[in-house]
Amino acid sequence: MNVELEELVRRFGHTQAVAGVSLRAGPGVFGLLGPNGAGKTSLLRMMATVLPPTSGRLELLSRDPGDHAERREIRRRLGYLPQNLGYYPGFTVVDFIEYFALLKDMPPRQVPRAVVAAVERVGLGDKARSKLKTLSGGMLRRVGIAQAIVNDPELLLLDEPTAGLDPEQRVAFRTLLREIGERGTVVVSTHLVEDVGAACTEVALMDQGRIVFHGTPHQLTARGEGTGAAGDAPLERGYSAVLAAARS
Amino acid sequence: MTDRCGPPDVDLDRVWTGVAAQVWLRRPGRIERLAAQLLRSPGLARALVTTPSLLTGWVIATAAILLAGMAATWGTHTPYVALFDPAVAAAGIAYAYGPGIDPAWELSQSMAVSDRMVLLTRALAVFGLNAVFGLLASAASGAAVAVTFGWLVPMTAVCALALAAATLARSANVGVAAGMSGWVITVLAGKAIAGQVTAAVAGPSLVLPYLVFTACCGALVLYTTRIPRGTA
Amino acid sequence: MDDDELITAIAAGDDTALRELFSRHAPWLAIRLRSLLPATDTEDVLQETFLAVWQGAGSYRRGSAAGWLWGIARRQAALFLRRRGPATLELPGLLAIDDPDGDPAEAALSGVVMARAAAALGPDGSPEREVWRLVYVEDRPVAEAAELLGVPVGTVKSRAHRVRRRLQAALRIGTATEGGGS
Repeated sequence: MNVELEELVRRFGHTQAVAGVSLRAGPGVFGLLGPNGAGKTSLLRMMATVLPPTSGRLELLSRDPGDHAERREIRRRLGYLPQNLGYYPGFTVVDFIEYFALLKDMPPRQVPRAVVAAVERVGLGDKARSKLKTLSGGMLRRVGIAQAIVNDPELLLLDEPTAGLDPEQRVAFRTLLREIGERGTVVVSTHLVEDVGAACTEVALMDQGRIVFHGTPHQLTARGEGTGAAGDAPLERGYSAVLAAARS
Repeated sequence: MTDRCGPPDVDLDRVWTGVAAQVWLRRPGRIERLAAQLLRSPGLARALVTTPSLLTGWVIATAAILLAGMAATWGTHTPYVALFDPAVAAAGIAYAYGPGIDPAWELSQSMAVSDRMVLLTRALAVFGLNAVFGLLASAASGAAVAVTFGWLVPMTAVCALALAAATLARSANVGVAAGMSGWVITVLAGKAIAGQVTAAVAGPSLVLPYLVFTACCGALVLYTTRIPRGTA
Repeated sequence: MDDDELITAIAAGDDTALRELFSRHAPWLAIRLRSLLPATDTEDVLQETFLAVWQGAGSYRRGSAAGWLWGIARRQAALFLRRRGPATLELPGLLAIDDPDGDPAEAALSGVVMARAAAALGPDGSPEREVWRLVYVEDRPVAEAAELLGVPVGTVKSRAHRVRRRLQAALRIGTATEGGGS
């Protein structure tokens, strides 16, 4: 198991962003679905060791993120793409990725080849030495994905990774996820239901800080059958059906 | 990467990776390699050499301001270097790192080399650089020894204030404003109370209050950088 | 962009032009090198070749880009083998043979190896020897060789294929005795 959450809670003042989530995830691609404000980002931030939980047990890559030394070990094997990445306009694509590769404690000798591999993997080979300020939104997103995968992470956390990507790039991206999911755990938080269906082996649906569904995409689709729930695609109908049931 | 194939047992992608690794990426400079050895962390060294306020332009500006101070001191015998340097250093520290200046801050918080280490290293480097420049300029302008070294203490206090303000407000500009105004107020108060512009700098009785103030600001920085403040 | 334009761009520091040049030419360069060297050595030499292209693009004079590239590849292969030591110099004899600035000792050695390799192709004047001489030693395009020999292009290609196979077999015997090889 790469991720183990038990009754995880995160409070901000009086609001509970995450209200008791339990989850276990091994290798594979794990989709986190839910409407805005469901708590997906807070959950992801806790898994990225950026936000400490208010209560509950969290174990990542068999280590405790509350311990300083173990947290560092987790972070070396972690890849994280936040929802709002931010970038250094004057840096080039390779500068940016190399910078974070070094901050992840990658051995310096391995860094250049790893950076090249990551850049080519996301299809930015002919933009390698372009300054970030010259790139489009979709390209910047791909730079973000590249820095997340540069250290060949065992745990890859992606928050809305496909924003700005065109359909062809999204297909390439899903292939990338499946490849990484063969050895490590990938957690993708998205509100694009179709991304989930195509790439994920397991799906959790969050609403108001809780998990209201946990299973395969197929099972989620099944939940929508015959309910007359809203949605153009079977998976969307499953999504709506589960949400409706959770809120009633 | 190539659509066409070479021989089946020759990995052209691997070849290209090797080529691009040398074409796209530069080998780290001497300073960075030295820093990597001293700090025992290549990541920290890279963070250091990319500090916004340690870039050449900034360093030149700092040197220019202190030279101006030096020149002014020759003319008027007021130790302008001692008066300028804390303000300049505070600005440099505020622009070293932090949420106000670092757009990829969220990502930086998930790094193995912790953002707190980066902050500390950069702040110390900026402070050190300003201190060295200041000492040289101050000594060269013939100011009294007490003043030449005396301003290091208030400079530390002002920098700590700037850093605390910047990390608390998550804004480099707030840090600069706090540092500058804090220093200006102190200097003017010193002038009002003791009649001398240099009172804020030279008084030995002020050392303890300055250090206590520095410690408080330092504690505030440590506290602010330990608990990441989040939004859902 | 055509090859000449790409190389000019590379000389001006355009790395995307290098990438394009690689994508166009690395495959055939790899095939040629592979007929002389084991796979891992081919990868190393190919990498050195394109790094040399990146650094030396300024000295390219308009003409045959392919010829220029192969010239660099040959030189890099010779350098590579020289660094590795005498035991492996015996392998690819075709490298420095017509390089007037090359190492004379190496040329002599290459001459011996070349004679040996050529013998594997058949008697002097045989179709395979002729194709080998025109296409590999004299670096002529296949179409030109076809014209000179008075045979269709397809025939030249299939003879060239046979030449490669026989050379590989001959050289592999050499590598097997060295204990190295792919």
